[in-house]
This record gives sequence, C-alpha cells and structure tokens, in this order.
Amino acid sequence: MINRRLLVLALVALIPNVAPAQFTTFIPPRDKQKDSAKAAVVAERRQEVARRDSVTTAALTNMKAWVDSAAGAPPLVRADTVTRLGSTIRADSVVRVAKSKETEVNETTTFRNGSPAPATATVLPILALLGGASVAVGAVLLYASRARGA
Amino acid sequence: MRRTAGRALFAAGVLLLFVVAATYALGATHSDAARREWNDEAARRDVASARAATAHGALAPIAIGAPVARLVIPRLDLDEIVLEGVGVAELNAGPGHLPGSAQPGAAGNAIISAHRDRHFRRFDALRIGDTVRTETADGTQAWVIVERRIVDREAPALFRTREPTLTLTTCWPIRLAGPAPERLIVTAKPIPRQAG
Repeated sequence: MINRRLLVLALVALIPNVAPAQFTTFIPPRDKQKDSAKAAVVAERRQEVARRDSVTTAALTNMKAWVDSAAGAPPLVRADTVTRLGSTIRADSVVRVAKSKETEVNETTTFRNGSPAPATATVLPILALLGGASVAVGAVLLYASRARGA
Repeated sequence: MRRTAGRALFAAGVLLLFVVAATYALGATHSDAARREWNDEAARRDVASARAATAHGALAPIAIGAPVARLVIPRLDLDEIVLEGVGVAELNAGPGHLPGSAQPGAAGNAIISAHRDRHFRRFDALRIGDTVRTETADGTQAWVIVERRIVDREAPALFRTREPTLTLTTCWPIRLAGPAPERLIVTAKPIPRQAG
C-alpha cells in the first residue's frame, strides 16, 4: 500500500518534468532560398497590380479630360493635385533660395545688411609668378640644351 | 627632349605674362576712360541735374561701370575714380562702389572695395586717424578713419548705418599670392564741414 502511494507521488513529481519533453517538436531550419524566391514572386505580383491600377487611373483621368475638353469645360483640378503642385513649387523655390544664398555668400555683388565683403582677390599675381617661373625654367633648359649641343 | 620642354615652358610663361599684362593694361585703359568721363564738365552737369530732377522721387539705378565718385587718400597717394559695381571688370579698372550701398556723403553706409594688388596695394599703411576725401556729384566730403578690422572672408562685415559712413574693403593679407582668407575693413566717419 505504501509502495503504491510512493509510486503515485513519484509519478506526480516526475510528470511535469517529462511533459515538456513530450510537447517538444522538430523545427526544420528555414529555406532562405525558397523564402526569397517567394518574396520576389509576391513583390512582382504587387508591382504588377500597382501598375495595372495606375494605368486604369490614368486611362480614367485621360478619359475625363477628353470628355471635359470635348464639352469645352475647363479641366477640374483635384485638391490633392493642387497640394502636390504647391508642395513641389515650394520645394523648388527653397532649393533656388538656398542656391542663391550660397552664391551670395561666395560673391557679394550688391549690398545686404550683414553681407560679407566683396571678393577682391584676383589670380593675376599667381599667374604672373607662374609665368615668370615658367619663362625662367624654360630659358634655363634652352640654354642648357644649346650648351650641350655646342 | 630638354629643348622641347624648355620651349614649351618658355612659351607658356610668355603667354601667362601676356595675359596678366593685357589684363592690367585693359584695367588702366578703363581707369583712364573713367577719369576722362569724370572730369568731363558737361557729364558732371548732366549727372547733377539728373540727380536734382529725381531728388524727390526714387533715384534711378546707376549703370554698372559708370564713374560715381572720386576717392582721395593722401597717406597712400591714392587718387582714383570709383566705378559702380564690384565685378571683375569694374575692380580691374578702379575701386568699385557696392551697388545698393549709399553714395559717399549721403546718409547710410557707402562701401568701396578694391584689389589689394592694384589700387589698394598699400592699403595696410592706413591708420586710424588718417583722412580720406570723396567727391561725388553732390559735393565733397572729408572723412576720418575710426576703425580698422580684419575679418574672415565669409564673415558678415557690411552693415546698414543711419549716419553717413564710409567703408573701404580689400583682401587680407595684402602680400599673399594665393586666395586671401580674410578681408581688411576700414571704417571712416565724416568730418563736419566748417561753416564759412
């Protein structure tokens, strides 16, 4: 009797430790090649769907523009188009302003409050030095070659 | 081989020197032309009458390259005709007046710039307290130098003023063959004209 009880207790104590082992399973490693191929196929399908949608939209838009022009009505401009157009112009003007500022920093040609002094440096002194040095070296080489020839 | 290299170097050097000499000569020619124009009494009268006619309205913009003033700095033995504009051609011919800045003697900051290797080549000799004289179609003004500072070439250096101010600028250091990293800024205030 006692042995039976001990056996039951031992089973109760051991079952939790054995149970997880019973639920474990083998998970095979992922086939990367297969997965990437799948992803590529999915992406291609999505692109195709998007292309088809945009073509449909363009066709519809063109059709509407054609109908509007045939009826002599000015084409309607959608609100989101205006926003996009506005933002495009704004971005473009920002670039232009940035470029003009950059130019002004480099070269002050008109007075602005806080502008740097005009660029008064020239390359003429360097050119004169280079020219003089070049003439001198050239003359030395010519003189040396003549002396060797004589 | 050596002879060919010598000839090539000699020719290139002569060409460079010719370019430099031609540029200086062209500047001198323009400077002389500006002086002649400035000294032409009839032209001066025309300018004066045009200024008087537009005194109550907006001043007409001055053409780039036109002579606008005469600058005299006794310490430097400098007597040059100032042209409108600070472009390559104007600064090659003489000191340039920065468009948009005040005319010398008028209310505001009049800014005149010149090359350190030409008209302002002895500009480093200027000291605080030296006098400068400007002559425009509106009259002659004497100035006294009150400030002399060296700033980075891209640092803000020119500012609006309410009272008449004369600012002269050139590149710094004066004796440097390469691109100048700094600017020499000299500020002058008008000397009040004495009555009588």
